[in-house]
Amino acid sequence: MYILKLFSTFLKVNLQQDLAYRADAIVNMVMSVIGTGWDLLGLSIIFANTKEIGGWGPSELIALMGVWRLVNVMMATIVWPNTEKFNTGVRDGSLDYTFLQPVNSQLLISITRMVVWRVFDFAIAVALIIAGMTSGNVITSPPLVAAFLALTFSGAAIIYSLWITLISFTFWFTKFDNSVTIMAALMDAGRYPAQVYPYWLRALITFIIPIAVATTVPLQALRGELMGWQIIGFLVIGAAAVFLSSRVWKAGVRRYSGASS
Amino acid sequence: MQVVKTMLQQSAFGAPGADSNPIVVEGLSKTYQVTDREGGFGAAVRSFVKRKFRDVKAVQNVSFRIGQGEIVGFLGPNGAGKTTTLKMLAGLLHPTSGSAKVLGFTPWERNSGYLRSMTLVMGQRNRLSWDIPAADSFLLNQAIYRISDADYKRVFDELNELLDLAPIIRKPVRNLSLGERMKCELAASLLHRPAVLFLDEPTIGLDISAQVRIRAFLKEYNRRSGATILLTSHYMADVTALCERIIIIHHGQTKYDGKLVDLSRRIAPFKLIGVTLGDCADCDLSRYGTVVPGEGSEDAGKHSVQVKADEVAAITARMLAELPVVDLTIEDPPIEDVIERAFHE
Amino acid sequence: MFAIYKRLWLVNWAEQWQYRANLLMYLAFWLVSPIVYLAVWTTIANAQGSINGFTAPDFVAYYMMLLIVDIATSDITIHIFGYKIMDGSLSNELILPIHPVLMKVLVNNLAFKALQMMALAPIWLILYVLYQPVFAITVTHVLLAIPAIALGFMLQFFAGATITCIAFWTTRVWSISDFYSNIFRLLAGQFVPLALLPAFMQSASQVLPFRLALYFPVQLLLGKLSLEETLLDLGLQVVWCVILFVLFRLVWRAGLKKYAAVGA
Repeated sequence: MYILKLFSTFLKVNLQQDLAYRADAIVNMVMSVIGTGWDLLGLSIIFANTKEIGGWGPSELIALMGVWRLVNVMMATIVWPNTEKFNTGVRDGSLDYTFLQPVNSQLLISITRMVVWRVFDFAIAVALIIAGMTSGNVITSPPLVAAFLALTFSGAAIIYSLWITLISFTFWFTKFDNSVTIMAALMDAGRYPAQVYPYWLRALITFIIPIAVATTVPLQALRGELMGWQIIGFLVIGAAAVFLSSRVWKAGVRRYSGASS
Repeated sequence: MQVVKTMLQQSAFGAPGADSNPIVVEGLSKTYQVTDREGGFGAAVRSFVKRKFRDVKAVQNVSFRIGQGEIVGFLGPNGAGKTTTLKMLAGLLHPTSGSAKVLGFTPWERNSGYLRSMTLVMGQRNRLSWDIPAADSFLLNQAIYRISDADYKRVFDELNELLDLAPIIRKPVRNLSLGERMKCELAASLLHRPAVLFLDEPTIGLDISAQVRIRAFLKEYNRRSGATILLTSHYMADVTALCERIIIIHHGQTKYDGKLVDLSRRIAPFKLIGVTLGDCADCDLSRYGTVVPGEGSEDAGKHSVQVKADEVAAITARMLAELPVVDLTIEDPPIEDVIERAFHE
Repeated sequence: MFAIYKRLWLVNWAEQWQYRANLLMYLAFWLVSPIVYLAVWTTIANAQGSINGFTAPDFVAYYMMLLIVDIATSDITIHIFGYKIMDGSLSNELILPIHPVLMKVLVNNLAFKALQMMALAPIWLILYVLYQPVFAITVTHVLLAIPAIALGFMLQFFAGATITCIAFWTTRVWSISDFYSNIFRLLAGQFVPLALLPAFMQSASQVLPFRLALYFPVQLLLGKLSLEETLLDLGLQVVWCVILFVLFRLVWRAGLKKYAAVGA
């Protein structure tokens, strides 16, 4: 509960910060709506030329777009702003203050900066998912929806863990500070079902930068394409990723304090 | 000699108008509008809906003129308006009202002839590229300021002689120490032989020996080139070593403009008498003046007494007569104290 | 004047070379989305035989060419200059007697491009072996493509610089630049060859300058344009360059005035 309190405090401070940039917040919300319209336009261009792509119809791709945007909300709210803060901290030494505070350092570097108005994008993403699920021929049943939600959550957790791992590497390889951009670059590949891609790209976004695990996989569950053991397998992988990445972070911190003393 | 230099200066920069002073500032003012916001979450939300603005008068009606070859210290507490004034003089800020002529140019017109004849050095704000050796940045500046190879070589050799640059300019800037970086920074800013230098905290963050080196360099550079220098600093040692004249600014207004030595006389018309007493348990120094606690190590029997400047002779005589004096000195009060008092007058 | 550009180039080259590891990371941005769209459209084309006359090999050739032209004509002004306006480090450059954008940023752009091209070359060759695209390029096309690409870049540079200047007024310009790149993606041909857009968007793309910056040079290199069409578009590129250049000068001047009034 301490964590929740800390989280809400940070949320409040960040919200206060964001409120200071009024025009920013409004412009960004307008842009989010326009961006969504624009993405839907892109989908409509695809489906003006075909009925399905890789076995997926328009309503499924709308739902996929929602899931993809959900992951992006997490990236935009937490991952990108804190990466920036982290990198500056490493460069100018202000990261030291993080370790002086009596709080789990991984939690602290994950939530010091949050772009709160992205909550608006969250609403858009949820609306897209619901629209996609209800409009077309997506087979849904309560257990499948539950599996979908669980897999979306664990997929996001895997992406988050990858991020923690990548920034932890900075403690060993200082030149590695831009590795996170590779995540940003590959995010785009999550817009479409992984089945569409050539095998090497599919492997890349499933195993190396597992954006497909956070987007395509939950949708597959929703379509009833995954076996029970596969669903459980993905959830186990998610939990393992969270555990392993926190170990890597701790090792990185130990390395950092060893090097700077 | 001085006359010739001034004439050269004028012909080189075509200073129009009658005033031969390189820096002429008349009634310069700068007012910012800032959003006013109280702390707290509710205030943040309210301010999201409705903004309140407030005028901040950073600089108010500041006037001064600085002569050819002068080094003037521009002093004041944080937020007094020093940097704002320097930025206006360097052409980065447009004043709300008032005028300024530097070398005959109005700075904020940002005439490229003006930009080529002045320089602004802002503390550790880097003009050098972080990842490459300073030598490469120097060559870039040579191109930017259109310095001929012959001039470049001559100026560089001179700067090298003064700052001992050779051993450090081949290393990437990020690997240099603060002091080394400041040396390179200064050199890069001076390659084009500016006639006017604006230095904002040139020694900030440096250790004592680096500060001393930079100071000696500035003094020598000024002597050789006849450049006019306006500098701000929080280190009084910079000011006492370099500036005969100081301008004190506080809350955007000029508080003092004149010789540094006159300041102590005007603001603090008193002296410190340092006495070292022999064996004397019940000597009462407060009879002579205010006993200043502090620096003198009491153990050795050294005390400081503050007295009015015009009574120094009389009181010294009385002390020598009445006390077992071992040693006696008469000093000016520390300049920090004087300036501190000047800020608050 | 030339000496300044030469020095700027040398400094930028040395600087960027320091960052070669990061450069590879940034390259991924230019690589991923063309490959994604290539995959999407070839999947559809393979399933249907062809889309409006476009076969899978047509798409492969199109996106493989786009990979090169996109890097050649893209502009990074907003990323390397936007923050300087916002954090006030622009001041350091304003005291120099050269134009911070038209000289420094321009050369920075070119140095970045040159290194990106070097990094792209081996990857492009691997993709070439994987996809076996068929090009019908003649020397004439290449010769005409040189000015087309140069002008395409200048167009994007002036547009990007103008958008970056918005930073003088609003604290963060990223969302506006996102908006711009969204439009660019559809109307310049990154998403799909413009011939496959719905009719109303096709006519919009014809009128707007975006296609001149990317689609036109790509089509030219693919040998799809007649000489008259090429010359007409080259002329249009020049006209738009002038318009955007003038626009940039106006916005830049107004921005500096604002910057000098408020300080940063």
